[in-house]
Amino acid sequence: MGFIHFLELILIVAILLAVGIPLFGKLKLKKLVEAVDPTSDKYKHLLVRKEETLISIKELEFDFSTDKISEPDYKVLRHRLEAEATEILERLDQLEQEHRKKLTPQ
Amino acid sequence: MNDIGEFTLLLALATALYGCVAYVMSARGNRIDLYLSADKTPIIVWACVVISSICLWKAFLTDDFSLQYVWAYSNRELDTFYKISSFWGGQKGSLLFWTLLLSTYMLVVYFQNRKKNLRVVPYAMAIMLLIVVFFLFLINFSTNPFERIPLPPEDGRGLNPLLQNYWMVIHPPTLYLGYVGFTVPFAFAVAALISKDLDDGWIRMTRKWTLLSWFFLCMGNLFGASWAYVELGWGGYWAWDPVENAAFMPLLVATAYLHSVMIQEKKDMMKVWNMSLVLLTFAMTIFGTFITRSGLIQSVHTFDEATLGYYFLAFLFVIIFACAALIIARLPLLKSANELDSFLSRESSFLFNNLVLLGIAFATFWGTIFPIISEAVRGVKITVGPPFYNQVNVPIGLALLALIGIGPVIAWRRATFSNLKKNFLKPVSAGIVAAVVLFPVIPLGNRTEIYTYITFVLCVFVLTSMFTEFYKGTVSRMGLHDESAVGALATMTWRNKRRYGGYIVHMGVVLIFAGIAGSQAYGTHTEKHLQIGESFEIRGYTITYEKLIAVEATNVKTRIIAQLAVERDGKRYWTGHPEKEFYKGQNQPVSEVDVLSTWKEDLYMILADFREDESATIKVYVNPMVSWLWTGGWIIAFGSMISMWPDRLEQRRRLERVRRQEQLFPSPAQE
Repeated sequence: MGFIHFLELILIVAILLAVGIPLFGKLKLKKLVEAVDPTSDKYKHLLVRKEETLISIKELEFDFSTDKISEPDYKVLRHRLEAEATEILERLDQLEQEHRKKLTPQ
Repeated sequence: MNDIGEFTLLLALATALYGCVAYVMSARGNRIDLYLSADKTPIIVWACVVISSICLWKAFLTDDFSLQYVWAYSNRELDTFYKISSFWGGQKGSLLFWTLLLSTYMLVVYFQNRKKNLRVVPYAMAIMLLIVVFFLFLINFSTNPFERIPLPPEDGRGLNPLLQNYWMVIHPPTLYLGYVGFTVPFAFAVAALISKDLDDGWIRMTRKWTLLSWFFLCMGNLFGASWAYVELGWGGYWAWDPVENAAFMPLLVATAYLHSVMIQEKKDMMKVWNMSLVLLTFAMTIFGTFITRSGLIQSVHTFDEATLGYYFLAFLFVIIFACAALIIARLPLLKSANELDSFLSRESSFLFNNLVLLGIAFATFWGTIFPIISEAVRGVKITVGPPFYNQVNVPIGLALLALIGIGPVIAWRRATFSNLKKNFLKPVSAGIVAAVVLFPVIPLGNRTEIYTYITFVLCVFVLTSMFTEFYKGTVSRMGLHDESAVGALATMTWRNKRRYGGYIVHMGVVLIFAGIAGSQAYGTHTEKHLQIGESFEIRGYTITYEKLIAVEATNVKTRIIAQLAVERDGKRYWTGHPEKEFYKGQNQPVSEVDVLSTWKEDLYMILADFREDESATIKVYVNPMVSWLWTGGWIIAFGSMISMWPDRLEQRRRLERVRRQEQLFPSPAQE
């Protein structure tokens, strides 16, 4: 066996070991991800929406300060965005409470 | 070394195939053992491809002509600089280079995301590995760069002289970095579709990748134009060549995506549209590769041994059909949660911008494939040249230019006519002033000149609109925070990198529009056969042919240089040295142009021919405003850097989200 073939053999063995070792441990019993909790997804989505709505309010303020938007429009949109943000915060609170209730032993 | 290089390619293929299957099985079976096993494969594949690439580079640097690829693209006299870049000079090496970049990107994605969203990431890694498998399959079984020559020749055939230019080292890697980069958003988009995790998490995970790929693709296109300008010697920088189009189309679709994705982030809408755009961008990169490697279209850019077209075509069809089926299957989950507040809003202007960009992309696509369709259906090959593209794309391009100026002035969500009137006052007034001032100055004799006039007026309108944005923002900040003008401008830009970085990019685009318009409409050229001492005039330049110089540059290269004195207003202004280079073993000499570039115009000289009596044929172009294009490119680069710069505020917000999520749902951290 030449040096090159020996090196190739070493490479194959190393790769087989690297990818094979996790398959022969006790990990089989563990799950990659926990069962998808729809509440968790909803919660994550709402956190993102909350952030985006707050950014939108800041941008609206900036647009107003640079005279890009009229005062009546600013008031309407600000009111709408604040309502959106409030609704999101309420839903977040609601989800948090429901989830905590679920976790609390009866 | 060659044996190792070839063997590691096979190993990479086998490992990538295993990784792809194991990632999918780990996600479907929810098995952590399989995930951890698959988790090693991106590193192994990358290491194997790196080893293989080093072996090929070594073969080039040590003149190992036992490899057919090295023999075909190098020789002993070739500069080390070009020996390194010969790696991607031909089809075989360029595919390996593509795979090297792809596996490197994959490795970075792997380190960034391996512990993040484990519902999406395994699929994303599997998609990326699948694409690596496709390329490795081609390299291993169809176009192997380690193919041997039984009796190695003494010397190689050498690199095509056209490729012996410093742009060869810069342009292809930049373009490939752009092409390959779009694999990342594509992989995450498909992974989101498969895993049904269809909120905008995949967009956030790939936002920077999309920007980075867009930046490289944009720079790749500009570098390509620059290369064509200085190397091909026809006086221009863009010819609507099929391969140029192939690089331009993904840029257009990606630009549309970059804009519309902002609407999804802000308003949680346009999910199907964004998904389709990101898939279309990737499909366009594969289409570009198909064009270059199919042999169906003649172009200076296509590879000599272009035989892989059908593989790429098949791959393209699989991608398009699979992705379309996935989107259709997930339509109920991709429904928009919101609607546009008003048709008079920045969102609407972005939608128009999307339509215009896709319009240009479609016209370019149609012009590119029409010769193929015509040949297949009627047996007649029709060439679609610049007149078609100019006729269709110029008016649409002007609409795009106008939208660049309109977008920033309109507020998000809703605008009113009274405010629009107020906000448009300055840009429109500036445009009107420009129109009045330019009217008597600019000739308006034909359609090109009229378009150019409109372009200049729109450029003034857009630039005023941009500067007004910076001005208003700065003044507002100065009032609110008691800062100096410079401080307010810098802080405002730094705190809103995406917005103001984007505006800077738009300013660069405006300069490019102006440069294209000026150079297309007001350029002139002449060709003269001159004896030594003879002169001629062009646009106020007096050009005198002084002498012809022959130089043995290297053992394989002879340079014939014409010395041309350029006078202006009776004074010597510059000395030009256009030349022809003769390479041993190459039938055709290569023209090396000489260019005097100023902000106003380029004086572009070509030595077209020479005779034994030392008379020479000299071609001279005066190309106005070409330098505006390159300046625009640098401004785009600067703006892109600002947009891409990591945003601490955003990182803080992300960490806060993850912390809150983990507090309530203490499973693995979900992005």
